[in-house]
Amino acid sequence: MSSSIQKAIELILSADRELLNILSTTARLSLTSSVIALLLGVPLGLLLGGCRFRGRGILLVLNRTLMGMPPVVCGLLFYLLFSGVGPFRHMRLLFTVELMILAQVVLITPIVTGNMETAAAGIAPALRETALGLGLGRGRRLLLLIRECAYPILTAYLLAFARAIAEVGAVAMVGGAIAWKTNVMTTAIMQYTNRGNFSLGIALGLILMLLSLIVNAALSLLQRRLGT
Amino acid sequence: MRIDAFSRTYEGRCVLRVPDLDLADGAVTAVIGANGSGKTTLARVLAGVEPPDRRGWRRPEQDVGYLPQKPYAFRMSTEKNLLLGGKDPARAAQLMEALDLRALARQSARRLSGGETAKMALARLLMRDFKLLILDEPTASMDRDAALAAEDLIRVCRDRTGCTVLLITHSLRQARRVSDRILFLHKGKLLEQGPTEELLRSPAQPETKSFLDFCGV
Repeated sequence: MSSSIQKAIELILSADRELLNILSTTARLSLTSSVIALLLGVPLGLLLGGCRFRGRGILLVLNRTLMGMPPVVCGLLFYLLFSGVGPFRHMRLLFTVELMILAQVVLITPIVTGNMETAAAGIAPALRETALGLGLGRGRRLLLLIRECAYPILTAYLLAFARAIAEVGAVAMVGGAIAWKTNVMTTAIMQYTNRGNFSLGIALGLILMLLSLIVNAALSLLQRRLGT
Repeated sequence: MRIDAFSRTYEGRCVLRVPDLDLADGAVTAVIGANGSGKTTLARVLAGVEPPDRRGWRRPEQDVGYLPQKPYAFRMSTEKNLLLGGKDPARAAQLMEALDLRALARQSARRLSGGETAKMALARLLMRDFKLLILDEPTASMDRDAALAAEDLIRVCRDRTGCTVLLITHSLRQARRVSDRILFLHKGKLLEQGPTEELLRSPAQPETKSFLDFCGV
């Protein structure tokens, strides 16, 4: 273990070009997919939690089902859709970061939506009643709801980012873990482990955890400020 | 102000049936009745928070200010909460002064006590002039002095703007102090109405009498 930590430090300090490539691909993938999932999931969650409409129950069940979708199933689905026999083969997106992002968005958006739905459902009724009583219009009520949900939005983002950075099943299937192209931290760890290079695998794992810690600590600080 | 007859049903159970009703313009009308008599449902339907059974029913007044039983304190300072109701900082300062909230102006409204939140919510509502004010137990969690200050403020607001006030209350003393008329609800029905003193002194219905006796009037 200590040799792995040493290896991890050496890797970081040596600014290994392959490691830097893996890190930048991981950052690009995780940040992009989690932000897109947030942009899609927050309005959807606010809609499901804050409004009552026909078909809401079905959408809730569907979303809760998608929240538990195994990443490999998602990966397989995208693989079939974009591979040589799939309907979207002409787009030539298989084994690209773009498709990895798309697959992760499908995986993560339901998680953001579910969390926002729970948060909005707890706030929206009392907020709506008070805001209606003050004569505030629909747009103003929506802005207030988003403002009141700032803390849950950050929580949802933390969950989304954690899921994105730690996810391996879908990205391995649609990305193919191609070195210098689609290899990310999790797939690289799998590759090194399969090759018997455990110390490098653990070193990458430690770097992954460190990255996750930095992002989570920063967002938690922001969250604490919002909470007060 | 004329209110057309309406009813409200929850899960097949009719919880409120109101006949055609006239609210005296510019008067304070207190709504009294036991728990579950339909007071809050009446307020919520008139405020447009929930719909009555009949589609196409029109509210008597669109310019309605409504203070819910459990008002929401937005995640911002007390003063900013007030400014959500209206944009005049001078008026906000005046209302905070009247309700002894000045010292709490910059404090987060989420940190206010129950009574302070009730005062903040009333002040926030009074930031704007409405034609109909519906107040659902506005002083329930206030202490005596705060409740009296709130009652004064409601009267002043009514006198200044000429608005009609519907005050839902459990306190017959408050109804006597503030209201010009009383509506008595019993099991979802409007059982009796009349001028405050007249109804409190000589109720016509046995249920009203029994309720007033229980409340020690």
